[in-house]
Amino acid sequence: MSSAPIPSLIAEATNPIIRWEWVVEEWDQVWDAIVEHLILTMLAMLMGLVVSAILAAIALRFRWTMTPITATTSLIYTLPSVALFALLAPVFGNLSRWTAVLPLAAYTLLILVTNIVAGFQAVPASVRDAADGMGMSPMRRVWSVDLPLAVPYILTGIRIAAVSTVGLVTVAAIIGQGGLGRLIFSGLRRAFWTPMTVGASLSIALALVIDALIILVGLWLVPWQRRRKAATR
Amino acid sequence: MIGAMAAARPSQTAVPRDIGFFEWFFDPDTWTGPDGILASLVDTVVLCAAVTLVAVAVSVPTAALLAHLRRAEVSSTWLVSISRAVPTFAIAALLVPWSLERGWGFEPWPIFIALFLLAVVPIYLNTYTAIRQQPEGTVEAARALGYSERSILTKVEFALASSLILAGIRVAAIQVVATEPIRAFLGGDGLGRYVRDGFGQNNNTLVIGGIVLIGGLAALTGLTFVALERLVLPNGVRRLARQQGDKTP
Repeated sequence: MSSAPIPSLIAEATNPIIRWEWVVEEWDQVWDAIVEHLILTMLAMLMGLVVSAILAAIALRFRWTMTPITATTSLIYTLPSVALFALLAPVFGNLSRWTAVLPLAAYTLLILVTNIVAGFQAVPASVRDAADGMGMSPMRRVWSVDLPLAVPYILTGIRIAAVSTVGLVTVAAIIGQGGLGRLIFSGLRRAFWTPMTVGASLSIALALVIDALIILVGLWLVPWQRRRKAATR
Repeated sequence: MIGAMAAARPSQTAVPRDIGFFEWFFDPDTWTGPDGILASLVDTVVLCAAVTLVAVAVSVPTAALLAHLRRAEVSSTWLVSISRAVPTFAIAALLVPWSLERGWGFEPWPIFIALFLLAVVPIYLNTYTAIRQQPEGTVEAARALGYSERSILTKVEFALASSLILAGIRVAAIQVVATEPIRAFLGGDGLGRYVRDGFGQNNNTLVIGGIVLIGGLAALTGLTFVALERLVLPNGVRRLARQQGDKTP
């Protein structure tokens, strides 16, 4: 549990912003924090994706639900993170991973639902008609025509959601979760800057790496986009 | 350095553990005094308002000018992709040792800069797209009427875009207010201190109080902007905005 840092300790602190020996010596601890950070991010993203897919399907099937779904997810998105984590801490207990994963997943909904819906709406009606004309069943059409065409939009949503989740995971450290965020707090409490700097900069670096990875996955999943771009050049 | 430290010293809120939430929250003594809720509230509101104002002062003119000149289109679209992903907490944490080393204390600089970066993006983006999307014909008509480039920007483009620009400022302000409580966990104060101290003392009354205060202020910020939009914007501009589609969450 994080408590306030001790001011007198910090006033006396004269240690440098980063001490590289510590990083080498305590690498195991840093690595564990990275892994925990990734696990929290992935659990939140998986959960967010499943819920968003269901919500997007409902919104696409029953158009009138679009407005309430957007309104609710927008509202969730604006909830203060400290308050939401604190609210769930007594419900699931501080030691439970779900206390962190649930709010993190909730924050991804707005971005993911918006992008999934936009992706499916961007499928040209002519393509859909052609698929129907070829005698595809509705399920088959959704899977093999609509979904692949919507993938670029969905991936953009996943990218933005993943990058912001990586940033928010650090905040979950206030409830004793939070991977690299815990390094930040352990440094702050002892007025020892190295873990703090390492935790903060690694969480930013992790976001950039994940961003780049998802772009690469996109290039691999939808090669025709690149080809089309090359063709129009 | 010690002086700055004393100013930034986080004071602990001490409350008996067995006190009920309502008993605590509705006690006038809880609100007044140097350690009262009102002091923290003012603390938070002043910081958030300052951050938002500086972000507006920096982003609105820059974005308006660049959009008018049709410049920086690529970098503006690139901004979209990071718009929701500014890692405020990590940025603030990185800046804390740096700020202490210079004797500037825990706050306000680290949290100010981190929140500023968070606020700049939606304001810049909304201003840029709002001005960029004004119909070419309107701008040409103004030009034909003899408007100077400066008046075109301020009296035509900016006026027509004002609703979307204000929406961007609203999003930024809400995000700033919603994120500011992390400051209490980085050696500062503000409303987040009730959650922090509640955790530290294992006192749920304080935690709940903090949640109510933080959530309440965020909701109030949103409502303030709704009222502001009604007050400031002419009916025509608001109708136009509805037609153009409010593209902000």
